[in-house]
Amino acid sequence: MGDLLKPDFGVTFLTICNFLLLVYLLKKFAWKPIISALEKREQQIAHDKEQAQQARQAAQQLQAELEEKLNQVAQTAAQKMAEAIKRGQDQRDQLLADAQAQAERLVAQAQAQIEAEKNQALADVRAEIVRTAILAAKQVVREELNADQTRETVERVLNEVKPK
Amino acid sequence: MNVADTIAHHILDHNWGITLAGFHLPVTTHSVTILGVSVFLFIGLIWAARPHASRAGRLITTLLEEYVTFIRDGLVLPNLGAEGRSFLPYFCTLFLFILSVNLAGMIPEMKTATSNISVTAALALCSGGLILYGGLKYHGLIGFIKGFVPTGTPAWLVPLIFPLEVISTVIKVCVLAIRLFANMLSGHMVLICLLLIIFIVGHMQIFAGVGALIPAMGLEIFMTCLELLVAFLQAYVFTLLTAIFTGSVIHTH
Repeated sequence: MGDLLKPDFGVTFLTICNFLLLVYLLKKFAWKPIISALEKREQQIAHDKEQAQQARQAAQQLQAELEEKLNQVAQTAAQKMAEAIKRGQDQRDQLLADAQAQAERLVAQAQAQIEAEKNQALADVRAEIVRTAILAAKQVVREELNADQTRETVERVLNEVKPK
Repeated sequence: MNVADTIAHHILDHNWGITLAGFHLPVTTHSVTILGVSVFLFIGLIWAARPHASRAGRLITTLLEEYVTFIRDGLVLPNLGAEGRSFLPYFCTLFLFILSVNLAGMIPEMKTATSNISVTAALALCSGGLILYGGLKYHGLIGFIKGFVPTGTPAWLVPLIFPLEVISTVIKVCVLAIRLFANMLSGHMVLICLLLIIFIVGHMQIFAGVGALIPAMGLEIFMTCLELLVAFLQAYVFTLLTAIFTGSVIHTH
């Protein structure tokens, strides 16, 4: 049991040579390709990540621009809508005013026509009355009168009796 | 039955003593085990590092890459910084080598070479060499020597501090060897002692020996599991401490 702590320098030397040779060989044939592949992949991942971040930033910028444009379009649409509503209201008011004026004109025309027809009717009635009065006068006074004088007389009488 | 001889036979290295042309070749159980493990690692890792078409091959390559990432990001870069990248192959080999040698003892007819002080001393010397190389590479001889004295130390304390720091570094390296050796040796001693319980009790009373079989085997299985854990743990501790010590000379006070 005393040999437990007794160093064997031959084993130590052999182990050092063995280990260092293993380090050298593995470094050259195993670790180097693995580490280079690993670093290459990590660089690729970092590059992809950077590109993805750039694409994301570009997308966010594009989204902001589109939202701004959308807001502008919405504002323009609202403005145009308000203008259209105002124009429609103006047109409606104009049409209503025109219709009102047309109606008033038609009413005035109708009233004038009615007045004219009423005057015509009155003239006709007056003429009939004159004729009737002449005939009646003829019958009453039984004398021949000049038709023109009689008409003038009747006219005068009628004017005198015309209601005021 | 000589218990001590039995334990010693199980634990100690066996020198086959081949002498060629007056030069004694240290062909021992442990050195052959180390050689076998080295050949296995060399062939296995070179095969694993090759590009593989099969799914299993790619899986092994991925595992190896994960291992390298673990050593790099968990041990080397935190302790050595960016300068440690050039030392990465050393640490990758160191951890795997110690782990493989530790685990080799679990295979029948093979020995745990790290339970030999000569082997752990060799590994510690390599780590000491790495510490020295790191210090000289990044600070030069004068800078490396100056690094032993912390900044701000009064001049009158330097003659005291300097030898203490030098001895401290040497002790750190020695402790690396002793820690690994003691942990692996003690585990195997416990394992053989548990087995010997059966024979010792059986030698006294055969039925008692049979009765001791089940508890002893239970403890044996438990200790074997513990040994597996210790194998990983000690490989990690050795590699981590080497990284810390190397980092401390590269990034001085």
